[in-house]
Amino acid sequence: MSLSLDQVSFAYPDGPVVLEKASITFEAGSFTIVQGLSGAGKSTLLRLLCRLEEAQSGRILFNGQPIETMAPADLRRSVAYVQQMPTLLSSSVRENLLLPFSFKANVGLNRPSDEVLTSHLESFLLSGVTLESEATRLSVGQAQRICLVRSLLLDPEIVLLDEPTASLDAESAGVVLEKAAELGRGGMTVIMISHSQTMPEGVTHVVTIKDRSLERA
Amino acid sequence: MTPSIIEITPLQLMLCFGFVLLAGITSMVNRLGLERDLLVGTIRTFAQLFLVGYVLKFVFEINVSWLVLLMFVVMVAAAVHIIRGRVKERSVSFLLPTFISMLVTYTLISALVTGVIVGAKPWWTPQYFIPLAGMIVGNSMTAISISLDRLFSDLKARRSEVEMMLALGADYREASQDVLRGAIKAAMIPSINSLMAVGLVSLPGMMTGQILSGVDPLVAIRYQVVVMLMLVASTSMGAFLVTGLVRRRCFSPAQRLVIR
Repeated sequence: MSLSLDQVSFAYPDGPVVLEKASITFEAGSFTIVQGLSGAGKSTLLRLLCRLEEAQSGRILFNGQPIETMAPADLRRSVAYVQQMPTLLSSSVRENLLLPFSFKANVGLNRPSDEVLTSHLESFLLSGVTLESEATRLSVGQAQRICLVRSLLLDPEIVLLDEPTASLDAESAGVVLEKAAELGRGGMTVIMISHSQTMPEGVTHVVTIKDRSLERA
Repeated sequence: MTPSIIEITPLQLMLCFGFVLLAGITSMVNRLGLERDLLVGTIRTFAQLFLVGYVLKFVFEINVSWLVLLMFVVMVAAAVHIIRGRVKERSVSFLLPTFISMLVTYTLISALVTGVIVGAKPWWTPQYFIPLAGMIVGNSMTAISISLDRLFSDLKARRSEVEMMLALGADYREASQDVLRGAIKAAMIPSINSLMAVGLVSLPGMMTGQILSGVDPLVAIRYQVVVMLMLVASTSMGAFLVTGLVRRRCFSPAQRLVIR
Protein backbone atom coordinates (compact mmCIF):
# COMPACT_ATOMS: atom_id res chain seq x y z
CA MET A 1 0.00 0.00 0.00
CA SER A 2 1.34 3.43 -0.89
CA LEU A 3 0.91 6.85 0.67
CA SER A 4 1.44 10.09 -1.23
CA LEU A 5 1.45 13.78 -0.53
CA ASP A 6 0.34 15.94 -3.42
CA GLN A 7 1.13 19.66 -3.04
CA VAL A 8 0.41 19.57 0.68
CA SER A 9 0.68 22.75 2.74
CA PHE A 10 0.35 22.82 6.50
CA ALA A 11 0.78 25.41 9.24
CA TYR A 12 -0.18 25.24 12.90
CA PRO A 13 -2.74 27.84 13.97
CA ASP A 14 -0.82 31.00 14.87
CA GLY A 15 2.36 29.03 14.18
CA PRO A 16 4.96 28.77 11.45
CA VAL A 17 4.36 27.15 8.07
CA VAL A 18 5.64 23.56 8.34
CA LEU A 19 5.10 22.26 4.81
CA GLU A 20 4.54 24.25 1.64
CA LYS A 21 3.31 22.45 -1.46
CA ALA A 22 5.20 19.33 -0.46
CA SER A 23 4.86 16.26 -2.66
CA ILE A 24 6.23 12.75 -2.24
CA THR A 25 5.20 9.13 -2.62
CA PHE A 26 6.00 6.39 -0.15
CA GLU A 27 5.79 3.30 -2.34
CA ALA A 28 4.21 0.05 -1.24
CA GLY A 29 6.70 -2.10 0.60
CA SER A 30 9.29 0.67 0.94
CA PHE A 31 11.17 1.41 4.15
CA THR A 32 11.73 5.14 4.43
CA ILE A 33 13.72 7.05 7.01
CA VAL A 34 12.62 10.66 7.56
CA GLN A 35 15.31 13.06 8.68
CA GLY A 36 15.47 16.77 9.41
CA LEU A 37 16.38 19.28 12.08
CA SER A 38 14.22 19.29 15.18
CA GLY A 39 11.16 21.41 14.57
CA ALA A 40 11.43 20.85 10.80
CA GLY A 41 8.10 19.01 10.77
CA LYS A 42 8.96 15.30 10.84
CA SER A 43 6.32 14.41 13.42
CA THR A 44 3.82 16.70 11.71
CA LEU A 45 4.36 14.76 8.48
CA LEU A 46 3.46 11.46 10.19
CA ARG A 47 0.49 13.05 11.96
CA LEU A 48 -0.80 14.35 8.62
CA LEU A 49 -0.56 10.85 7.14
CA CYS A 50 -2.94 9.43 9.77
CA ARG A 51 -5.09 12.58 9.95
CA LEU A 52 -4.20 13.61 13.47
CA GLU A 53 -3.46 16.89 11.68
CA GLU A 54 -5.38 18.26 8.71
CA ALA A 55 -3.57 19.83 5.74
CA GLN A 56 -4.73 23.31 4.74
CA SER A 57 -4.31 22.54 1.05
CA GLY A 58 -3.22 19.71 -1.21
CA ARG A 59 -4.18 16.04 -1.04
CA ILE A 60 -2.93 13.01 0.82
CA LEU A 61 -3.62 9.73 -0.96
CA PHE A 62 -3.80 6.23 0.46
CA ASN A 63 -3.32 3.87 -2.48
CA GLY A 64 -4.54 6.65 -4.74
CA GLN A 65 -7.62 7.40 -2.64
CA PRO A 66 -7.86 10.79 -0.87
CA ILE A 67 -7.71 10.01 2.86
CA GLU A 68 -10.55 12.38 3.70
CA THR A 69 -12.90 10.10 1.75
CA MET A 70 -12.08 7.23 4.15
CA ALA A 71 -13.66 6.76 7.59
CA PRO A 72 -10.97 7.91 10.08
CA ALA A 73 -10.99 4.55 11.87
CA ASP A 74 -10.53 2.65 8.58
CA LEU A 75 -7.58 4.84 7.63
CA ARG A 76 -6.01 4.45 11.07
CA ARG A 77 -6.44 0.70 11.05
CA SER A 78 -4.50 0.55 7.76
CA VAL A 79 -1.99 3.24 8.74
CA ALA A 80 -0.67 2.57 12.23
CA TYR A 81 0.96 5.47 14.06
CA VAL A 82 3.32 4.78 16.95
CA GLN A 83 4.05 7.85 19.09
CA GLN A 84 7.52 8.91 20.11
CA MET A 85 6.79 8.53 23.83
CA PRO A 86 5.03 5.24 24.55
CA THR A 87 1.58 5.80 26.03
CA LEU A 88 0.01 2.99 28.01
CA LEU A 89 -3.01 3.02 30.29
CA SER A 90 -2.72 2.13 33.94
CA SER A 91 -3.85 -1.47 33.69
CA SER A 92 -2.45 -4.86 32.72
CA VAL A 93 -0.38 -5.48 29.61
CA ARG A 94 -3.23 -7.65 28.30
CA GLU A 95 -5.78 -4.86 28.65
CA ASN A 96 -3.43 -2.44 26.92
CA LEU A 97 -2.82 -4.82 24.04
CA LEU A 98 -6.55 -5.48 23.64
CA LEU A 99 -7.55 -1.81 24.01
CA PRO A 100 -8.01 -1.25 20.23
CA PHE A 101 -10.43 -4.18 20.11
CA SER A 102 -12.72 -2.44 22.61
CA PHE A 103 -13.40 0.41 20.18
CA LYS A 104 -16.66 0.29 18.21
CA ALA A 105 -14.87 0.64 14.87
CA ASN A 106 -12.82 -2.50 15.57
CA VAL A 107 -15.47 -4.85 16.98
CA GLY A 108 -15.58 -6.94 13.80
CA LEU A 109 -11.89 -7.79 14.10
CA ASN A 110 -10.65 -11.02 15.60
CA ARG A 111 -9.59 -10.57 19.19
CA PRO A 112 -6.19 -12.20 19.56
CA SER A 113 -5.96 -15.01 22.10
CA ASP A 114 -3.56 -15.02 25.06
CA GLU A 115 -1.30 -17.41 23.13
CA VAL A 116 -1.03 -14.97 20.23
CA LEU A 117 -0.33 -12.09 22.61
CA THR A 118 2.33 -14.07 24.45
CA SER A 119 4.05 -15.09 21.25
CA HIS A 120 4.18 -11.43 20.22
CA LEU A 121 5.75 -10.53 23.56
CA GLU A 122 8.36 -13.23 23.03
CA SER A 123 9.18 -12.15 19.52
CA PHE A 124 9.83 -8.65 20.87
CA LEU A 125 12.16 -10.17 23.49
CA LEU A 126 9.71 -9.28 26.26
CA SER A 127 9.80 -12.68 27.91
CA GLY A 128 10.13 -11.07 31.37
CA VAL A 129 6.80 -9.33 30.85
CA THR A 130 3.57 -11.22 31.42
CA LEU A 131 0.07 -10.36 30.24
CA GLU A 132 -0.81 -9.64 33.88
CA SER A 133 2.09 -7.17 34.41
CA GLU A 134 1.06 -3.63 35.29
CA ALA A 135 1.81 -1.65 32.13
CA THR A 136 2.79 1.59 33.84
CA ARG A 137 5.57 -0.19 35.78
CA LEU A 138 7.43 -1.21 32.61
CA SER A 139 10.61 0.54 31.48
CA VAL A 140 10.33 2.99 28.59
CA GLY A 141 11.96 0.46 26.29
CA GLN A 142 9.54 -2.29 27.25
CA ALA A 143 6.58 0.10 27.00
CA GLN A 144 7.60 1.18 23.50
CA ARG A 145 7.77 -2.44 22.38
CA ILE A 146 4.29 -3.06 23.86
CA CYS A 147 2.99 -0.04 21.92
CA LEU A 148 4.45 -1.42 18.72
CA VAL A 149 2.87 -4.84 19.35
CA ARG A 150 -0.47 -3.15 20.11
CA SER A 151 -0.42 -1.35 16.75
CA LEU A 152 0.63 -4.43 14.83
CA LEU A 153 -2.22 -6.51 16.28
CA LEU A 154 -4.59 -4.48 14.10
CA ASP A 155 -2.75 -5.86 11.07
CA PRO A 156 -1.93 -2.50 9.43
CA GLU A 157 -0.54 -2.11 5.93
CA ILE A 158 1.60 0.92 6.71
CA VAL A 159 3.45 1.72 9.93
CA LEU A 160 4.47 5.23 10.95
CA LEU A 161 7.16 5.23 13.62
CA ASP A 162 7.86 8.59 15.27
CA GLU A 163 11.46 8.27 16.40
CA PRO A 164 10.66 5.06 18.24
CA THR A 165 14.16 4.58 19.63
CA ALA A 166 14.71 8.16 20.85
CA SER A 167 14.47 7.43 24.56
CA LEU A 168 15.29 3.72 24.55
CA ASP A 169 18.24 1.79 25.93
CA ALA A 170 20.50 0.08 23.40
CA GLU A 171 18.85 -3.33 23.76
CA SER A 172 15.30 -2.07 23.27
CA ALA A 173 16.38 0.19 20.40
CA GLY A 174 18.03 -2.78 18.73
CA VAL A 175 14.86 -4.88 19.02
CA VAL A 176 12.66 -2.09 17.65
CA LEU A 177 14.96 -1.42 14.68
CA GLU A 178 15.24 -5.14 13.93
CA LYS A 179 11.43 -5.40 14.03
CA ALA A 180 11.05 -2.41 11.71
CA ALA A 181 13.42 -4.05 9.24
CA GLU A 182 11.50 -7.32 9.54
CA LEU A 183 8.21 -5.53 8.80
CA GLY A 184 9.83 -3.95 5.74
CA ARG A 185 11.07 -7.34 4.52
CA GLY A 186 7.56 -8.70 5.05
CA GLY A 187 6.17 -6.22 2.51
CA MET A 188 4.83 -3.64 4.93
CA THR A 189 5.37 0.03 4.11
CA VAL A 190 7.42 1.54 6.94
CA ILE A 191 8.01 5.26 7.45
CA MET A 192 10.29 6.00 10.40
CA ILE A 193 11.69 9.21 11.82
CA SER A 194 15.27 8.86 12.92
CA HIS A 195 18.00 11.15 14.19
CA SER A 196 20.57 8.40 14.24
CA GLN A 197 23.40 8.42 11.72
CA THR A 198 23.48 4.64 11.49
CA MET A 199 20.83 3.38 9.11
CA PRO A 200 18.81 0.38 10.16
CA GLU A 201 19.01 -2.64 7.91
CA GLY A 202 16.71 -2.76 4.89
CA VAL A 203 16.12 0.98 4.42
CA THR A 204 15.12 1.72 0.83
CA HIS A 205 14.71 5.50 0.93
CA VAL A 206 15.82 8.50 2.95
CA VAL A 207 13.72 11.65 2.93
CA THR A 208 14.82 14.96 4.42
CA ILE A 209 12.46 17.75 5.48
CA LYS A 210 14.12 21.07 4.75
CA ASP A 211 12.76 24.54 4.08
CA ARG A 212 9.16 23.36 4.25
CA SER A 213 9.58 20.74 1.54
CA LEU A 214 10.54 17.07 1.25
CA GLU A 215 13.71 15.98 -0.49
CA ARG A 216 14.74 12.46 -1.37
CA ALA A 217 18.39 11.75 -0.70
CA MET B 1 -45.34 31.27 64.48
CA THR B 2 -46.43 34.53 62.83
CA PRO B 3 -43.94 36.24 60.57
CA SER B 4 -42.48 39.12 62.56
CA ILE B 5 -39.63 40.85 60.86
CA ILE B 6 -37.79 43.88 62.19
CA GLU B 7 -37.42 46.26 59.28
CA ILE B 8 -34.06 47.91 58.70
CA THR B 9 -34.56 51.66 58.41
CA PRO B 10 -32.46 53.81 56.01
CA LEU B 11 -30.65 55.26 59.05
CA GLN B 12 -29.74 51.77 60.29
CA LEU B 13 -28.56 50.90 56.79
CA MET B 14 -26.29 53.96 56.83
CA LEU B 15 -24.71 52.69 60.06
CA CYS B 16 -23.39 49.75 58.03
CA PHE B 17 -20.97 52.12 56.34
CA GLY B 18 -19.09 51.81 59.61
CA PHE B 19 -18.19 48.26 58.58
CA VAL B 20 -16.74 49.48 55.29
CA LEU B 21 -14.85 52.15 57.21
CA LEU B 22 -13.27 49.44 59.39
CA ALA B 23 -12.13 47.55 56.29
CA GLY B 24 -10.86 50.81 54.78
CA ILE B 25 -8.80 51.59 57.90
CA THR B 26 -7.30 48.09 57.75
CA SER B 27 -6.36 48.70 54.13
CA MET B 28 -4.83 52.12 54.88
CA VAL B 29 -2.87 51.02 57.94
CA ASN B 30 -1.35 48.09 56.03
CA ARG B 31 -1.05 50.06 52.76
CA LEU B 32 -3.01 47.45 50.84
CA GLY B 33 -4.31 49.98 48.33
CA LEU B 34 -7.79 48.44 48.44
CA GLU B 35 -9.67 51.65 49.40
CA ARG B 36 -10.82 52.35 45.86
CA ASP B 37 -12.05 48.77 45.33
CA LEU B 38 -13.86 48.92 48.66
CA LEU B 39 -15.60 52.13 47.68
CA VAL B 40 -16.59 50.86 44.24
CA GLY B 41 -17.65 47.53 45.70
CA THR B 42 -19.83 49.18 48.32
CA ILE B 43 -21.50 51.44 45.77
CA ARG B 44 -22.06 48.47 43.43
CA THR B 45 -23.55 46.39 46.24
CA PHE B 46 -26.03 49.14 47.00
CA ALA B 47 -26.83 49.89 43.37
CA GLN B 48 -27.13 46.29 42.18
CA LEU B 49 -29.20 45.07 45.12
CA PHE B 50 -31.53 48.06 45.05
CA LEU B 51 -31.97 47.61 41.32
CA VAL B 52 -32.72 43.90 41.73
CA GLY B 53 -35.05 44.72 44.63
CA TYR B 54 -37.09 47.06 42.47
CA VAL B 55 -37.06 44.67 39.51
CA LEU B 56 -38.29 41.84 41.76
CA LYS B 57 -41.00 44.05 43.26
CA PHE B 58 -42.10 45.01 39.75
CA VAL B 59 -42.09 41.38 38.51
CA PHE B 60 -43.96 40.19 41.60
CA GLU B 61 -46.62 42.85 41.16
CA ILE B 62 -47.14 42.42 37.42
CA ASN B 63 -47.08 38.62 37.87
CA VAL B 64 -47.05 37.54 34.23
CA SER B 65 -45.34 34.39 33.03
CA TRP B 66 -43.30 35.84 30.17
CA LEU B 67 -41.71 38.46 32.41
CA VAL B 68 -40.71 35.82 34.98
CA LEU B 69 -39.24 33.63 32.27
CA LEU B 70 -37.47 36.59 30.67
CA MET B 71 -35.85 37.31 34.00
CA PHE B 72 -34.77 33.67 34.19
CA VAL B 73 -33.22 33.86 30.70
CA VAL B 74 -31.34 37.01 31.72
CA MET B 75 -30.02 35.21 34.82
CA VAL B 76 -28.78 32.29 32.71
CA ALA B 77 -27.18 34.66 30.20
CA ALA B 78 -25.41 36.50 33.02
CA ALA B 79 -24.17 33.17 34.39
CA VAL B 80 -22.81 32.19 30.97
CA HIS B 81 -21.05 35.55 30.79
CA ILE B 82 -19.40 34.91 34.16
CA ILE B 83 -18.41 31.37 33.11
CA ARG B 84 -16.78 32.86 30.02
CA GLY B 85 -14.66 35.06 32.27
CA ARG B 86 -13.59 32.15 34.46
CA VAL B 87 -12.78 29.61 31.76
CA LYS B 88 -9.71 30.78 29.92
CA GLU B 89 -9.92 28.53 26.85
CA ARG B 90 -10.65 30.47 23.66
CA SER B 91 -9.87 28.02 20.84
CA VAL B 92 -13.14 26.14 21.37
CA SER B 93 -16.39 28.11 21.44
CA PHE B 94 -18.44 26.90 24.37
CA LEU B 95 -20.87 29.77 24.98
CA LEU B 96 -23.84 28.64 22.89
CA PRO B 97 -23.85 24.99 24.03
CA THR B 98 -23.41 26.18 27.63
CA PHE B 99 -26.29 28.65 27.33
CA ILE B 100 -28.64 26.15 25.69
CA SER B 101 -27.96 23.28 28.08
CA MET B 102 -28.19 25.52 31.15
CA LEU B 103 -31.47 26.97 29.91
CA VAL B 104 -33.02 23.58 29.19
CA THR B 105 -31.81 21.77 32.33
CA TYR B 106 -32.53 24.58 34.76
CA THR B 107 -35.96 25.40 33.36
CA LEU B 108 -36.90 21.76 33.83
CA ILE B 109 -35.48 21.42 37.33
CA SER B 110 -36.81 24.80 38.52
CA ALA B 111 -40.27 24.05 37.15
CA LEU B 112 -40.21 20.62 38.76
CA VAL B 113 -39.27 22.10 42.14
CA THR B 114 -41.80 24.95 42.12
CA GLY B 115 -44.63 23.15 40.33
CA VAL B 116 -44.40 19.62 41.71
CA ILE B 117 -42.43 19.64 44.96
CA VAL B 118 -43.33 23.04 46.44
CA GLY B 119 -46.65 22.93 44.60
CA ALA B 120 -46.83 26.60 43.69
CA LYS B 121 -49.74 27.47 41.38
CA PRO B 122 -48.93 28.42 38.70
CA TRP B 123 -45.46 26.87 38.62
CA TRP B 124 -43.86 30.14 37.55
CA THR B 125 -45.18 32.10 40.56
CA PRO B 126 -42.32 34.63 40.81
CA GLN B 127 -42.03 34.53 44.60
CA TYR B 128 -40.98 30.86 44.37
CA PHE B 129 -39.64 30.46 40.87
CA ILE B 130 -37.15 33.33 40.82
CA PRO B 131 -35.30 32.71 44.10
CA LEU B 132 -35.18 28.94 43.57
CA ALA B 133 -34.10 29.21 39.94
CA GLY B 134 -31.59 31.83 41.01
CA MET B 135 -30.00 29.43 43.47
CA ILE B 136 -29.88 26.71 40.82
CA VAL B 137 -28.25 28.99 38.26
CA GLY B 138 -25.82 30.48 40.76
CA ASN B 139 -24.59 27.16 42.13
CA SER B 140 -24.46 25.43 38.79
CA MET B 141 -22.50 28.31 37.32
CA THR B 142 -19.61 27.40 39.60
CA ALA B 143 -20.01 23.70 38.87
CA ILE B 144 -20.06 24.25 35.13
CA SER B 145 -16.99 26.47 35.11
CA ILE B 146 -15.14 23.83 37.14
CA SER B 147 -16.14 21.07 34.72
CA LEU B 148 -15.32 23.05 31.57
CA ASP B 149 -11.98 24.10 32.99
CA ARG B 150 -11.22 20.50 33.87
CA LEU B 151 -12.36 19.23 30.46
CA PHE B 152 -10.11 21.62 28.57
CA SER B 153 -7.07 21.27 30.81
CA ASP B 154 -7.28 17.45 30.87
CA LEU B 155 -7.69 17.18 27.11
CA LYS B 156 -4.49 19.19 26.79
CA ALA B 157 -2.57 17.46 29.55
CA ARG B 158 -3.63 14.00 28.39
CA ARG B 159 -3.27 14.76 24.71
CA SER B 160 -0.90 11.85 23.99
CA GLU B 161 -3.29 9.38 25.63
CA VAL B 162 -6.30 10.72 23.72
CA GLU B 163 -4.40 10.70 20.42
CA MET B 164 -3.03 7.23 21.11
CA MET B 165 -6.62 5.96 21.26
CA LEU B 166 -7.69 7.93 18.18
CA ALA B 167 -4.74 6.47 16.28
CA LEU B 168 -5.91 2.98 17.30
CA GLY B 169 -9.37 3.58 15.86
CA ALA B 170 -11.28 5.11 18.77
CA ASP B 171 -13.86 7.78 18.04
CA TYR B 172 -13.79 11.00 20.04
CA ARG B 173 -16.23 9.66 22.62
CA GLU B 174 -14.13 6.60 23.33
CA ALA B 175 -10.86 8.54 23.32
CA SER B 176 -12.10 11.13 25.82
CA GLN B 177 -14.39 9.01 27.98
CA ASP B 178 -12.08 9.15 30.97
CA VAL B 179 -11.46 12.88 30.64
CA LEU B 180 -15.20 13.54 30.45
CA ARG B 181 -15.84 11.43 33.52
CA GLY B 182 -13.26 13.41 35.48
CA ALA B 183 -14.82 16.71 34.39
CA ILE B 184 -18.33 15.72 35.46
CA LYS B 185 -17.08 14.30 38.74
CA ALA B 186 -15.18 17.49 39.54
CA ALA B 187 -18.42 19.43 39.07
CA MET B 188 -20.47 17.13 41.29
CA ILE B 189 -18.12 16.83 44.25
CA PRO B 190 -18.71 20.29 45.81
CA SER B 191 -22.48 19.81 45.95
CA ILE B 192 -22.06 16.31 47.40
CA ASN B 193 -19.62 17.69 49.99
CA SER B 194 -22.14 20.32 50.97
CA LEU B 195 -24.71 17.56 51.57
CA MET B 196 -22.31 16.25 54.20
CA ALA B 197 -21.49 19.58 55.82
CA VAL B 198 -24.84 21.34 55.79
CA GLY B 199 -26.16 22.30 59.20
CA LEU B 200 -22.95 21.27 60.93
CA VAL B 201 -20.47 23.70 59.45
CA SER B 202 -22.80 26.44 58.32
CA LEU B 203 -26.44 27.40 58.16
CA PRO B 204 -27.32 27.87 54.51
CA GLY B 205 -28.25 31.38 53.37
CA MET B 206 -31.77 30.60 52.36
CA MET B 207 -32.64 28.90 55.62
CA THR B 208 -31.04 31.75 57.57
CA GLY B 209 -33.09 34.20 55.54
CA GLN B 210 -36.32 32.40 56.21
CA ILE B 211 -35.59 32.12 59.93
CA LEU B 212 -34.74 35.82 60.09
CA SER B 213 -38.07 36.65 58.47
CA GLY B 214 -39.87 34.71 61.16
CA VAL B 215 -40.48 31.35 59.52
CA ASP B 216 -40.55 28.32 61.82
CA PRO B 217 -37.10 26.65 61.58
CA LEU B 218 -38.84 23.32 60.97
CA VAL B 219 -40.51 24.78 57.89
CA ALA B 220 -37.28 26.43 56.80
CA ILE B 221 -35.31 23.18 56.91
CA ARG B 222 -37.77 21.49 54.59
CA TYR B 223 -37.14 24.17 52.02
CA GLN B 224 -33.43 23.79 52.59
CA VAL B 225 -33.56 20.03 52.03
CA VAL B 226 -35.38 20.64 48.74
CA VAL B 227 -32.74 23.19 47.76
CA MET B 228 -29.79 20.96 48.65
CA LEU B 229 -31.17 18.03 46.67
CA MET B 230 -32.18 20.09 43.67
CA LEU B 231 -28.66 21.54 43.57
CA VAL B 232 -27.16 18.06 43.43
CA ALA B 233 -29.39 17.31 40.46
CA SER B 234 -28.85 20.59 38.67
CA THR B 235 -25.07 20.67 39.04
CA SER B 236 -24.70 17.12 37.79
CA MET B 237 -27.22 17.38 34.96
CA GLY B 238 -25.82 20.75 33.90
CA ALA B 239 -22.21 19.57 33.92
CA PHE B 240 -23.15 16.34 32.13
CA LEU B 241 -24.92 18.14 29.29
CA VAL B 242 -22.49 21.02 28.93
CA THR B 243 -19.32 18.91 28.93
CA GLY B 244 -20.95 16.41 26.55
CA LEU B 245 -21.82 19.12 24.04
CA VAL B 246 -18.58 21.06 24.42
CA ARG B 247 -16.38 17.95 24.20
CA ARG B 248 -17.72 17.38 20.70
CA ARG B 249 -16.37 20.77 19.69
CA CYS B 250 -12.88 19.86 20.87
CA PHE B 251 -12.67 17.30 18.04
CA SER B 252 -13.06 17.65 14.29
CA PRO B 253 -15.41 15.37 12.30
CA ALA B 254 -12.23 13.48 11.27
CA GLN B 255 -11.84 12.42 14.95
CA ARG B 256 -8.91 14.76 15.46
CA LEU B 257 -8.25 16.65 18.70
CA VAL B 258 -8.37 20.32 17.69
CA ILE B 259 -7.83 21.97 21.08
CA ARG B 260 -4.15 22.95 21.57
